Amino acid sequence: MIGIVGAKTIGGVSNMGRFARFVWQSMITSLRSCTSSHTYPLICTQMYIIGVRSVPVVMITGAFVGMTLAVQAYDQLAGMGLEEHLGVLINISVVKELGPVLAAVMLAGRIGGALTAELGTMNVTEQIDAIRSMGTDPVRYLVAPRILACLLLTPFLIIFADLMGILGGYFVSVIQLEINSQAYWDFSASGVELWDVSIGVIKGVFFGVAIAVISCYKGFTCKEGAQGVGRACTEAFVASFISILALDFALAVIFKAIYNTFWQLKSLV
Amino acid sequence: MKKKYENNQSSEECSNGVLEVKNLTKRFGTNVVLDNISLTIDKGKTTVVIGPSGCGKTVLIKHLIALLRPNSGEVYFKNRRIDNLSENDLNRIRTHYGFLFQGGALFDSLNVTENIIFPIRQHCKITNFREVEELVKAKLAMVGLDGFQQFYPANLSGGQRKRVALARAIALNPEIILYDEPTTGLDPIRADVINELILKLQKELGVTTIVVTHDMTSAYKIADRIIMLHNGKIIADGDADHIHNHPHPVVQQFISGQVSEEDLAVLRMSGTISQPQFLPRDFE
Repeated sequence: MIGIVGAKTIGGVSNMGRFARFVWQSMITSLRSCTSSHTYPLICTQMYIIGVRSVPVVMITGAFVGMTLAVQAYDQLAGMGLEEHLGVLINISVVKELGPVLAAVMLAGRIGGALTAELGTMNVTEQIDAIRSMGTDPVRYLVAPRILACLLLTPFLIIFADLMGILGGYFVSVIQLEINSQAYWDFSASGVELWDVSIGVIKGVFFGVAIAVISCYKGFTCKEGAQGVGRACTEAFVASFISILALDFALAVIFKAIYNTFWQLKSLV
Repeated sequence: MKKKYENNQSSEECSNGVLEVKNLTKRFGTNVVLDNISLTIDKGKTTVVIGPSGCGKTVLIKHLIALLRPNSGEVYFKNRRIDNLSENDLNRIRTHYGFLFQGGALFDSLNVTENIIFPIRQHCKITNFREVEELVKAKLAMVGLDGFQQFYPANLSGGQRKRVALARAIALNPEIILYDEPTTGLDPIRADVINELILKLQKELGVTTIVVTHDMTSAYKIADRIIMLHNGKIIADGDADHIHNHPHPVVQQFISGQVSEEDLAVLRMSGTISQPQFLPRDFE
C-alpha cells in the first residue's frame, strides 16, 4: 500500500517536473520565435486555424450567455423594481467573467482537442522524431506557433464573445422583456468601466497560453495507439478546463487588488 | 541559398569509424533492451543490424542519432561524444544524418515537395525557388518518383511513401543514412526496389549506411557487415559469409527462419485449432 502511494507520488511529481520543463522551454522558444521572421508563416497558418475558424462558435456561445443571463436575472431584479439595471448585471457579468471563461472553455474543446489529436498522431507516427532527426527543434516548429497564435487571438475571440453577449442580452431585455432601451444603456454605461472590459480581454491572454501549452504537452506525451490519442485529448480538455477556472480565480484576486490600489490613487488625484 | 548542397563529408577524421558506441545500456523500466553494447561503424560502408522483433534494433539506431539517450555508455560521432549534448547542439550534428523511419514519418499536412524541402527550409536560406524545385525533382528522380511532387502522403502507396521519405532523408546530402526496417510491409519486388535504392545511394553519394532489418534477403544483398542482436547483446558480427556460417544456434535459427523447439512446445500445449472452445454466438 505504502509502495503504491509512494510510486504514484513520485510519478505525479515527475509529471509535474516534465510539464514545468516543457512550459519553460515553450515560453523561451516562443519568445525567440517572435523575433524570427522564419516562424511568421507558421504563426499565420495557426492563427487561421485557431482564430478565424473559431469565430462562429465563440460568437454563438457569447450570444447565448447574454440571452440566458437576461432571462434568469430579470425576475429577481423586477421583484425589487430594478429591472432597468439589468444591463449592468448582464454586461458586467459577460465582459468580466462569463464571456472570457465560457469562450475559453469552448476554445479548449475546439482547439485544445484538435491540437492534442494532431500532435499526438504526429508523435505516435514518429513525425515528431522525424523533425528532430532533421535537426529541427519540434517545440520551435510545432509548439511555439500554436502558443503565439492562441496568445494573440484568444483576446480577440473574447471580444467577439463579449460583443455577442452584450447584443444577446440587449435583444432579450429590450425586445422580449420590454425594458426601456435608453435606460438599459445608461445604466450599463454607468456600471461597466473600461477596466472591466480590459480584465476580460487580459484574461484571454492567459487562457490562450494555458490551452495551447497543455494541449501541446498532452500531444507530445501521448501514448501509442488510437486509445492513447483519445485519452490524451480528454486529459487535455479536462486539464485546460480546470486551468481556466483556476487562472480565472487567481486573476480575479490579482486584478481586484490592482483595482483597489489604483482606485485609491485615483480618488487622491 | 546560404548553404550549398554539398556533401558534408570532412577529411579531418583520424579514424575510419564515423560512429562509435561504447558500453551502451538502455532500459525501459526494468526491461533491459540494450545490454553493454560496443561497436564501431565504418565510414562509407553498409552495416546491417539484424535480430528478432523487439530485440532493440530500432532502439540502437535511435541512439546513433541521439533520439534516445542511454542509461549508461557513450555514443560518438566523428570522435565527438553526442549522447550528452543538448538538443540545440544536437540539431547541428543531426544535419549530417538522414533517417528513414519505418512508416516513412512523412508530414501528412504537407505534399511531397514540401516534405522534401522541409530540412532545406530549416537549415538553408532559400532565395531561388527554381533551384529548390530542381533539387526536389533530382531527389525524386533518384528514388524513381519524379512527377509525384504535388501528391500528399495519403495518396501514396507504402512503397512510394518510403521512397519519398528516403528522398527527404537525402535532401541535405547527409554523411550517414539510417534505415529503420526499410523493406517491412512491402511486396518482394518493392522491397528489392528499396534495396537497389540503398545500394545506389551508397554508390553515388558514398554515404555511411546503417540498416535495421529482419529481412535476410535484403541483408545479404546490401550488407558489407552484418551485426546480430539477441537479448540486448551482439551475438554475431561479420560479413554475409561469416553470418551465414556462424555456429551460434540462434543465428542459424534466425537466418533460416525456423521456429524453435521451445516455441513449438508452447504451440502444442495451447490446444488445437480444430477444437475451438469459444464459438461465435450464432455459430451452428
